[in-house]
Amino acid sequence: MTNSINEIGEAEVILAIGSNTTEQHPLVSHQIIKAVKKGTKLIVADPRKTQVAKLAGLYMSLKPGSDVALLNGMMNYIISEGLYDKQFVETRTEGFEELKKAVSDCTPQKASEITGIPVGDIISAAKTYAGSKKSSIIYCMGVTQHVTGVDNVMSCANLAMLTGNVGKPSTGVNPLRGQSNVQGACDMGGLPNVFTGYQAVNNDELRQKFEKVWGVTLSPKPGFTATQMIECAADGRLKAMYIMGENPMVSDPDSNHTEHALKKLEFLVVQDIFLTETAKLAHVVLPGVSPAEKDGTFSNTERRVQRIRKAIDPIGNSRPDWQIICELSRQMGYKMDYASPEEIMKEIAKLTPSYGGITYSRLENGGLAWPCPTTEHPGTPYLHKDKFARGLGKFMPITYKQPAELPDGEYPFMLTTGRTGFHYHTGTMTRRVPILDREVPGSYVEISKSDATKLGIRNGAMTKVSSRRGQIVVKAKVVDTIQEGLVFIPFHFAEAAANRLTAANLDPVAKIPEYKVCAVKLERN
Amino acid sequence: MSEMKIISKGNLADFLKALNGDREVIVSSIENGTLIMGNMGSVKMETGFNGRPLIPPKEYFFPQREKIFTFNAKDPKKVDIVAHTNDAKRVIWGLRPCDLYGIKTLDEIYMSNYVDTYYKARRDNTVLMGLNCNEPCDTCFCDSTKTGPFASEAFDVMFTDLGDKYLVNIGSDKGKKAIEKGSKLFGAATDADKAKAADLEKKSKGAFKRSVRSAEAKKKLPGSWDDKLWSEESLPCILCGGCNFVCPTCHCFNIEDINEGDGVSTRVRYWDSCQLGGFTQMAAENTREHQSERLRQRIFHKCVYTPDKYNGVPGCTGCGRCIEVCPADIDITHILGRVTSK
Repeated sequence: MTNSINEIGEAEVILAIGSNTTEQHPLVSHQIIKAVKKGTKLIVADPRKTQVAKLAGLYMSLKPGSDVALLNGMMNYIISEGLYDKQFVETRTEGFEELKKAVSDCTPQKASEITGIPVGDIISAAKTYAGSKKSSIIYCMGVTQHVTGVDNVMSCANLAMLTGNVGKPSTGVNPLRGQSNVQGACDMGGLPNVFTGYQAVNNDELRQKFEKVWGVTLSPKPGFTATQMIECAADGRLKAMYIMGENPMVSDPDSNHTEHALKKLEFLVVQDIFLTETAKLAHVVLPGVSPAEKDGTFSNTERRVQRIRKAIDPIGNSRPDWQIICELSRQMGYKMDYASPEEIMKEIAKLTPSYGGITYSRLENGGLAWPCPTTEHPGTPYLHKDKFARGLGKFMPITYKQPAELPDGEYPFMLTTGRTGFHYHTGTMTRRVPILDREVPGSYVEISKSDATKLGIRNGAMTKVSSRRGQIVVKAKVVDTIQEGLVFIPFHFAEAAANRLTAANLDPVAKIPEYKVCAVKLERN
Repeated sequence: MSEMKIISKGNLADFLKALNGDREVIVSSIENGTLIMGNMGSVKMETGFNGRPLIPPKEYFFPQREKIFTFNAKDPKKVDIVAHTNDAKRVIWGLRPCDLYGIKTLDEIYMSNYVDTYYKARRDNTVLMGLNCNEPCDTCFCDSTKTGPFASEAFDVMFTDLGDKYLVNIGSDKGKKAIEKGSKLFGAATDADKAKAADLEKKSKGAFKRSVRSAEAKKKLPGSWDDKLWSEESLPCILCGGCNFVCPTCHCFNIEDINEGDGVSTRVRYWDSCQLGGFTQMAAENTREHQSERLRQRIFHKCVYTPDKYNGVPGCTGCGRCIEVCPADIDITHILGRVTSK
C-alpha cells in the first residue's frame, strides 16, 4: 500500500476494484464501513456483487479482465472534461501526452461496451473519484490475477496520478496483501531478481555489498519465479525444489500439470506445519512451526513491520523456519550462526536501507512502516510525499487487452476463482477448525439464477464443471449476485480443486497466473 | 447492607497472598496498553484501573475450549471413559459490575434448572471479588441496564477505590470467610468513607457517554420483529462472531469428538456463535437463513428471552464489548435506540 490502513477511514472517496474486502480483509473493511457511515462515497467494481459492493453507493459489475477499459474510460472522461489535477500532472509527473493518446479511443461509451457497465456509471465514477483530493484506490487479486495484471495495476496508478490522489494522506494506490507476511517475504528478497529491500541481484555494487558481508560469491542472474519453476520442473530444467509454507498442488493453476511437474522432480523437500497435498509428494518433509510457536516479525499490507511473539514451545520435532534453514546451511558447509531472530533482524537492518532503522526494541511500541532508514526515522505511513522514488511519476500508456482464454461454443462459461471468508488459502489450517469447517464444509460453484434455470441445475445439485485442463464435481449455489455467463468457485478445497480447471496463462512481466478468467462448461452430474 | 470495611491499597497484595495458599489468585494487569486478567504470580497487578478486559471472566467458568471426557475405544467391547473434572480453587479480584452480573446470569442458566456440572464445579470453587467502576468506558452503558457502575449484589466481596484505600463490602459467606483469612489487614469503614463512595458512584453515573431505555426496549422489541432495521443494521456484518465471544452472558457451545489416534478420542465443547449460518443449519434448511434474522436473534436473546426465561436476570449487562470489537460497527445501543424511538 502507498498509504496506511487507518487513512482509509478518513478518505472522502474510496474506489475498490477487484477486492472482496469484507471477506478477505475485515480490518480494512472496518475502515471502509466507518468511512461510509460518516458519508464517504464508496465505489466498487467487481464481477460479483460481494458484501462490500452492497455497501457501495455505486456498484459497477464489470466483466472479468476488463479493468483497463474501465480505468481508461474514466481517465478519458476526466481528461476530456478537464477534471484532472493540472498542477500535479505538470510538477510531479511525466508522460501525460502519451497517456492522453493511449486513452483517447477509450471513451466512456467504448469502455461501457467492453466492461458491460452502463456509460452513466462510468462517468459518475470518474466525476466522483476526480472530484475529491482524498480519493483512495483499493485493489486486490481481482486486479492482479490476470494476464494483464501489471497493466491493471499501472492503470490504477495512472488514475491516481492524473487526479493528484497520491503522496497525500487518505489517497493512494493500495493493494491489499492477502497473507500475514507476504509483504515481508517480498521485502526479504523472496523474489528471483532481488535481495532484501528490492536490491537488484544484477546491480554489481549492491551484489558486492552482500558478497562482502556473507563472504561468498553470488550469482548476478535472476532466477525463476514460482510459476516458472513449475514449467521448468515439467520440462526438466529444474531437478529439485524446496517448498516452504506453500501448497502449490492446490494453489497453483492447472493442478494436473502441477502434479505432473512436481512428480518429475528428482528431489522435492516440503517444509510445512501439516502434511499438505504437496508435502505428500515430497521426498523429505521438514516440520515447521505455526505462528504461535515462533518469534520474529511480520510485515503487513501497509508495510508495517510488527513483532510476533512465541506463545507456546514448538510441538514435537518441529522447529522455527530460521532454525531449519540455518541447520541445512551448516550441513551444506556454510556456517549460519544466528542466536535469535533478533540477530537476523540486525543483519537485515545492516544490509537493507529501507529497514535500516528497524530494531526489535523500537518495534516494542507497535511497529514501524518502511522506509525507515535510520534509528531516528519515524517510519513512513504514506509514500511519494514530495517526490516519487524515481523522481517524476511516469504515466504508462496502456490499452485494453482481453483475457487469454475466453468462453466459446465448447466451454461457454467464464470461470473466476477466489476465496471465502471462512477459509484461508488451501485450507491447510482452517479446514482443521471444526467451526469453520461447519460454515463452509466443501466446494461449490456460484451460478446465476437464469443460467441455472437454463441448464436445469437447482440449488445444491452436484454439478460437473470442466475446462480444457480438467474437471471437478461440486455443489451448485444459485445466487443473484453474479453475472450471467460467469461462475465462481473458491479454490480452498483439494478434493474439488478449482485449480484443476484454471489455466497457467501468465502475466508477461509479473508471471502471475490468470486465476480470474478461464473458460468452462457446466453439466448436471 | 452488610458490614463495610476498609483496607489500604498497600495491603491488598498481602491480603490476596494470604488467600494464595489454597487458591489461584487472578488479578488485572495492563500489558502493552491492554487490560488483561492473569495469575497474580505471573502478571503485574493493577490496584486501580478503568475499563474491563476485552475477554470477559466467563472463561474462568466456561472456557473457550473445554475437554469434557476422553474415551478409549480401541477395544470396542470395553470402552474406557475418563471425565475431565476441574476442582481448581480460585479467587478473582477486580471483577467489574457488568461481569459480576454476567456471572449471575450464567449461574441462572447453568445452575438453576439444568445443572451443568463442569460450570458448577468451577463456580463453587471460585470467590468473586469485584471492583466498582469510578469511571465508565467509551462503549459501556451499564447504568442503563442497572448492572453498574456500582454493584449492589452478585459478588462475594466488593471493593470501591477511594484513592489510597478501598471500601470493602461483603456480600456472602464465601466472601466473609475469605476476609477472615486477612482480618488483621482490614479496619472498620467510617461514615466519611461511605459518603465518599456514594459520591464516586454519583459522579460515575453522570459520566456515561451512551444510554438505552432498557425497559422500554424490552417492551417494544416484539413489535419490531418485521422492521427493516434488522436487515439495515446487519448489512455490514462479516460473520466473525466476535460479539458473542466477548459477551459476558453468551453461553452457547458446540461439541466435537476429536480423534487423537490409536482409538482414543476426546469430547470437547467450545464457544459457538449464533451469528454464524452453521449455528442453525438443519439437514435441508436453515431456520435463520439471513443475517438480519441472526442479528435479531442476538438482540432478542439478550433483551427479551433471557430475562423472561431466567427470573429477570439481564441478558445484556451493558459492558459494551460487542460494540468495541465489531469490525462492522454494529452497535446494540444504536439498535435499541431505533427500537425505542418508534
